[in-house]
Amino acid sequence: MNAKTYLKSKLLWPLILLPLAFLVNLSLGSVYIPFGSILSGLFTDYPLEESWLFIVNDYRIPKATTAILVGGGLSVSGLLMQTLFRNPLAGPFVLGISSGASLGVAFLVLGSGLITGLSASVLTGPWAMVLASAGGSFLVLLAVVGAANKIKDPMTLLIIGLMFGSLTGAVVSVLSYFSRAEALQRFIFWSFGGLGHLSWTGILILLFCCLLGLILAIRGIKVMNAMLLGPGYAASLGVSVKQSTLLIVLSTSVLAGGITAFAGPIAFVGLAVPHLVRQIIRTPDHRIMVPASFLWGSIIMLLCDAVSQIPFSALTLPINAVTSILGAPVVIWILIKKKNLMF
Amino acid sequence: MLNVENLTIGYLSDRGQKNILADRVNFSIGQNQLTAIIGPNGAGKSTLLNTLAGQLSPLDGSISLLGHSFKNLTPSQRAKLLAIVLTKKEYSDHLSVREFVELGRFPYTNWLGKINAADQQIITRAIKATQLDSLMDQKCGMLSDGQRQRVSIARALAQDTAFILLDEPTTHLDLAHKAQTVMLLKNLSKQHNKGVIFSTHDISMALKMADNIICVTPGHVITGTPDQLTDSGVIAELFDSNVVQFDPSSRQFSILD
Amino acid sequence: MRLSYFLSVIWCFIALSSCGEVPSSETLQLNADDQAHYAKGFYLMDRDSIQILELRDPQNGSTLHRIALVSKNTKEFHTEGFDQIIEVPIETIVATSTTHIPALEMLGKTDALVGFPNLDYISSLATRGRINDGLVQELGQNESLNIELLIQRRPDLLMTFAIDQTQNGLDKVSDAGIPIIYNGDWTEQHPLGKAEWIKVFGALFNQKHKADSIFRQIESEYVKLKDVAAGAKTQPKVISGALYKDVWYAPKGNSWAAKFIEDANGDYIWKSTQGTGSLQWNIEQILSLAQTAQFWIGPGQFTSYNQMTQSSPVYAEFPPFKRKEIYTFSKTKGPTGGLLYYELAAMRPDWVLSDLISILHPELMEQGYETNFFKPLEP
Repeated sequence: MNAKTYLKSKLLWPLILLPLAFLVNLSLGSVYIPFGSILSGLFTDYPLEESWLFIVNDYRIPKATTAILVGGGLSVSGLLMQTLFRNPLAGPFVLGISSGASLGVAFLVLGSGLITGLSASVLTGPWAMVLASAGGSFLVLLAVVGAANKIKDPMTLLIIGLMFGSLTGAVVSVLSYFSRAEALQRFIFWSFGGLGHLSWTGILILLFCCLLGLILAIRGIKVMNAMLLGPGYAASLGVSVKQSTLLIVLSTSVLAGGITAFAGPIAFVGLAVPHLVRQIIRTPDHRIMVPASFLWGSIIMLLCDAVSQIPFSALTLPINAVTSILGAPVVIWILIKKKNLMF
Repeated sequence: MLNVENLTIGYLSDRGQKNILADRVNFSIGQNQLTAIIGPNGAGKSTLLNTLAGQLSPLDGSISLLGHSFKNLTPSQRAKLLAIVLTKKEYSDHLSVREFVELGRFPYTNWLGKINAADQQIITRAIKATQLDSLMDQKCGMLSDGQRQRVSIARALAQDTAFILLDEPTTHLDLAHKAQTVMLLKNLSKQHNKGVIFSTHDISMALKMADNIICVTPGHVITGTPDQLTDSGVIAELFDSNVVQFDPSSRQFSILD
Repeated sequence: MRLSYFLSVIWCFIALSSCGEVPSSETLQLNADDQAHYAKGFYLMDRDSIQILELRDPQNGSTLHRIALVSKNTKEFHTEGFDQIIEVPIETIVATSTTHIPALEMLGKTDALVGFPNLDYISSLATRGRINDGLVQELGQNESLNIELLIQRRPDLLMTFAIDQTQNGLDKVSDAGIPIIYNGDWTEQHPLGKAEWIKVFGALFNQKHKADSIFRQIESEYVKLKDVAAGAKTQPKVISGALYKDVWYAPKGNSWAAKFIEDANGDYIWKSTQGTGSLQWNIEQILSLAQTAQFWIGPGQFTSYNQMTQSSPVYAEFPPFKRKEIYTFSKTKGPTGGLLYYELAAMRPDWVLSDLISILHPELMEQGYETNFFKPLEP
């Protein structure tokens, strides 16, 4: 089997597993719906109990779709950050994007209490959280891009991103200190992340963000491969460090910022999935890594979401906790077993 | 031809001051020639090489490749004329030899980096020239120093440029590998019609194998054939004669006790 | 855990008071029936053959939701101008705040409750009995409702309160055809305003007259008690609240809690603070002002003097502490730990007022009066 066929077969597995994971995710939830009913609800006109039809079509399918976009998008953006900074510890939020989102939401949820006082009629509409989060990320992005234009070394950009993260975190702390309890509670629950509450409009917008981010990422595959040679060789091949950095930063920001705006800050997936995928794919070639990261990220997110629902009970765990609780031991086990980061 | 006119090399300090290492440098190097850059530490060998490679800007003067001035070339255009080989290992250990060499085709491939038949031919030729056939699927991290050297050279070959610059390619190698590498470089210049320029500490080998020598001393850059530089005594004056002495006939340095 | 206790106490202060304008006295709105209307968050009226329920912004009186309550056999009516049309009487309801439970029970509709998030908060024995029989489903999912279970249960109505309308997932609930009413009782500033929301329940269950008469009874009790208190010879000074991490939280002067003290003829030390939320003051300011206090009503989450000194020795400086005149509602709990005050005080302001009068002016109450909510602290 030559190299190309071998690699294509590596993509085949996740392509098959993804729809399976989708179905598994659909079939698990607080309400017990037999698997056969789910299939017939999806594919036939066979009349189901009305509440089941509604739950599957209007609650579980949007949730699963969100999981696919979130898991895939975060994994790709984590991969981009690891490549840009040549650092295995990098993840999608290393430039401060989720900190910016936190800041935006904090101003909305915690700060509004300071300024005008809560009113029963509510100062916010259903899109307020999304806009606040996206706005916050966007501001940090502007600052980061501005910095990227002025500095030569991506490593400096990494430190600047971490500093922005600290700064926004501190402002959020101050807001939290002065805010009222139920506002604080809402903010904390936003920070747990959630996949289940997007409307179809929200999903469309999220889809658009992910597509945009992915297109930019795919556009950057060639230069990212060149970056694997190190900055010296990459420059000698004609790669412009500034332009490539900008492209990658934009792609990550659109992906991670868009996802955080709709689903809250989801930890761990963006950092861990590229490492897991490297063990499976065994090549750093981004032509395979980008699609593989997306697919495996989606699969893992679907499975984590299914588990976080604690099937057939009213109890749920926040998605952030599940991704880390399940994911961290797996990554540790794999790295110990394989003894090799493949980075 | 690689033409250097009135070149001033050096670097800018943090405060914007110019630190000049050599000025009014002029020389020309043709394709199918092997050129060695020699000189004492700190005189500016690396700076000259980096300036020729385009990684440092000249403080004054101009460099032109095949008639195109560096200033007018975009990095991609220059990538098709000039390839480099570095000793610093910054690349990912998990690239396979095949992937590493294929990346040499970067300036020519499509937006996704796909290798077509023409690319494949050039790659195959580069692999053959560096005798890497059996190592194609090995990860770069598993190679010996000598093998890694050949892979880097193969990549530069695959880049199919008129000129190849190598930064101290023989410094970490044992004698046999040193000889092999320089033979390879000579071969590349003659049979593949490349202008090969490399910096080295091994002056004897440079004098023996190279067609041209660029001698970088503090303040001066002198170019010529090995004979010219030996006869004119430039080589003899490279190092402190109280420590080492040059014998023009054997073209060797010996240590004085 | 301390954090959740603190959160629930502060939530109580905030939720049971509300932000908004500063009323100088009870502003009365007269509805068509010429009855005093204390609540600002809703307005009920008859029009042709239907009832109209308007949910309003208590700050400016603007209408937030216009809901038509329509009986089964009503003939045609204008459907324009309504955000929702709900068929009444409803049979089943899912509530989301324990303050909704007493209204159901007083109307004899205890059986209508089919689901509730975080069942442990409920104290009412009647409902606990139904919970133990499995007739009330647990619908809590972290801070919100479990959408799947709620949709499967399909109640005739979901009654919730909107802290903000970005309440996750509720649009899916209304997409599924379940009507939602945002109960604004927690925003009412007047003690009788909160209780008046029983009329909304009355409208939903076609028990208008019963709801009206229950409310009138509570209202007259309250007014009677207030008059009794007004005849007291002294006006004792009262403080409230407690420290949390160097910041003192206490109800502001126009809040629901402060109003009770005023109506019980007590002198709330911070009655001149404007606003209806919590004040957050530094301990030094508090100490200086509180030196004249005689009673301490509502010391945060503490239930014993020992607890207080362990938490912070500064508490022992307060005169009510030294005189052992601290009273809390945190000791009065239901079988599963829910605080009775949170559940029942809104609907029975007369019982709160009588408690406070018995504390501040014991000579005015009959012998052997047992308080409903407020108990003295344990040693």
